[in-house]
Amino acid sequence: MYAYDTFDHALVNARVAEFRDQVDRRMTGELTEEEFRPLRLMNGLYLQLHAYMLRVAIPYGTLSSVQMRKLAHVARRYDKGYGHFTTRQNIQYNWPKLSETPDILQELADVEMHAIQTSGNCIRNVTTDQFAGATADEVADPRPYAELIRQWSSFHPEFSFLPRKFKIAITGAQEDRAAVKWHDIGLVVKENKEGEIGFEVLAGGGMGRTPVIAKTMRDFLPVKDLLSYLEAMLRVYNEQGRRDNKYKARIKILVEAMGVEEYTRQVEEEWEKIRHIPIDVPDEEVARIKSFFAPPPLAVLSDEVAEVDDLAAKNFIFKSWLANNTGRHKVPGYVNATISLKPHGGIPGDASDEQMDLVADLADAFSQSEIRVSHEQNLILPHVARKDLPALWAKLDAAGLGTPNAGLLTDIIACPGLDYCSLANTRSIPIAQTITERFDDLKRLMDIGPLKIKISGCINSCGHHHAGHIGILGVDRKGTENYQLLLGGSGAEDASKAAILGPGFDEHGIVDAVEKVVAVYLGEREDGEEFLAAYRRLGPDVFKEAVYGSH
Amino acid sequence: MAKKVTGPQLILANRLDDGRAVFLTAAGEWSKQVADAAVANSDDELENLMSVAQAAEVANQVVSVTAVAADESGKALAPAHIKFAMQSRGPSVRADLGYQVSPNWEQ
Repeated sequence: MYAYDTFDHALVNARVAEFRDQVDRRMTGELTEEEFRPLRLMNGLYLQLHAYMLRVAIPYGTLSSVQMRKLAHVARRYDKGYGHFTTRQNIQYNWPKLSETPDILQELADVEMHAIQTSGNCIRNVTTDQFAGATADEVADPRPYAELIRQWSSFHPEFSFLPRKFKIAITGAQEDRAAVKWHDIGLVVKENKEGEIGFEVLAGGGMGRTPVIAKTMRDFLPVKDLLSYLEAMLRVYNEQGRRDNKYKARIKILVEAMGVEEYTRQVEEEWEKIRHIPIDVPDEEVARIKSFFAPPPLAVLSDEVAEVDDLAAKNFIFKSWLANNTGRHKVPGYVNATISLKPHGGIPGDASDEQMDLVADLADAFSQSEIRVSHEQNLILPHVARKDLPALWAKLDAAGLGTPNAGLLTDIIACPGLDYCSLANTRSIPIAQTITERFDDLKRLMDIGPLKIKISGCINSCGHHHAGHIGILGVDRKGTENYQLLLGGSGAEDASKAAILGPGFDEHGIVDAVEKVVAVYLGEREDGEEFLAAYRRLGPDVFKEAVYGSH
Repeated sequence: MAKKVTGPQLILANRLDDGRAVFLTAAGEWSKQVADAAVANSDDELENLMSVAQAAEVANQVVSVTAVAADESGKALAPAHIKFAMQSRGPSVRADLGYQVSPNWEQ
């Protein structure tokens, strides 16, 4: 993985010293809250309902075991013994003290981490496929390009005060696990006929109160042009994006208003003006960054492991975990293994300090000391030998980390909601907890198959409800919590917007409604037909009838 | 200008250092317990409370001063809106954390 050079270290350490001074001046009253607020937000520090919240960047969701141990240490030393992994592949701490945040940031800087650009109207953490570099269905590892974008966008003076926040996602795989079509800019790594690596470029996607699926601007952009083209895209947005209304300030509104053809024309025009100045980096620099992401030295092993087959034959939980939580690696004999942070009845995305320490130890023992965070709020050990799976699973299971539900109905994305967030209208986590308890039977879950439920506690859509096969949106109904049910969304390569089925429910009714929807699916599905395909074939009426028919 | 009072209100804020939710009392102090909160029943009362609260904000004791509707119908005084009621208790999904543990729970 990428390692800081002296410039990176100096930059991050200088930022910590600067923030320490700013916090000191706030505590003594030299800075007012109005003056301090934008400064703390630039360092990822929010004020939520009960306390401050610190959002720490995990660039493209990649962590070393050393970094994970530091995250555990921060949770233990400065917080309440846990952290929350987010849909942006970051981690949030819910209880830091203002006066201690400079110390936290210094500890993070010591392991090459920071909270820069995790808030504010700037380019946020670039997200990617959690299996990058460790999946068989990949054209190329997208992380070197994500790192290139990270370096270009960090402290970019022109893009520090954009009309609104800006999110870029990149995938190198055929299956889109990074939801690139739901981002301000989406990049899909491709190889052209000449064998050259480049990107399909998409723009104008986003969730929030106006969900829009990104549109393709270019089918192929060579790597050598990546940064100057992004610069042109941001320039046009920065100049023309609306600043008069924050709800209309994202690039999706601009691209919708002018049309993708006109936006593309203006970007290309701007690009012609700037592409010859040295924004793009030389091939040697791309090669240098790529070298940090060189595949680990894995000796080819056999995919046939008798011990794995034997355990799967006699243990249904392990068999299910093997089917759901492991995926094909590019090297024979290995898998990527998903550690579910979705125990039934638990809080999606939360991990205790002890669990984080254990994951770090397991990464050292079984996965080249590497860990990933997925936007679906799980952790991944990317390079695990199949022969090690029984030992790995046993340790995970003993620590409450072996839930065999990756990709199943109980692998729910949920935002923090009103339990923590000052923007939320309703709680999200208790809905996820009740659903996972209701669907606790593993045989039933396996029978239902792939089904993504995503829950947001307000229209800002941090819980990705627009992209849920089943989406749940919490709304404020005269000071009480109310939940809308949406069906038919997708965050994958077949991206689609979920549609509201009908009137909302209280916290109990929404869970009953989910159960009725699932019952319709089970009754109507054809052989091998997954939930989303069945919904698309059947349309909403049969589900509407089941959910509201008796009303 | 204080907004028109349509019902009883109380003043909620977050402490500067740890962000903990606190309530303005009739004595002009900040309590960790909603039960101690002063309740304004008129525009004048609310204006008086807000001026005390804003002075505390200027003095860097608290941030995010907000007047919220109070619910006095139950056994205990509470903010009427679910959001502020949550803020006065702590996260419902972590009964081991927040003010719900005890009034003296410290971060």
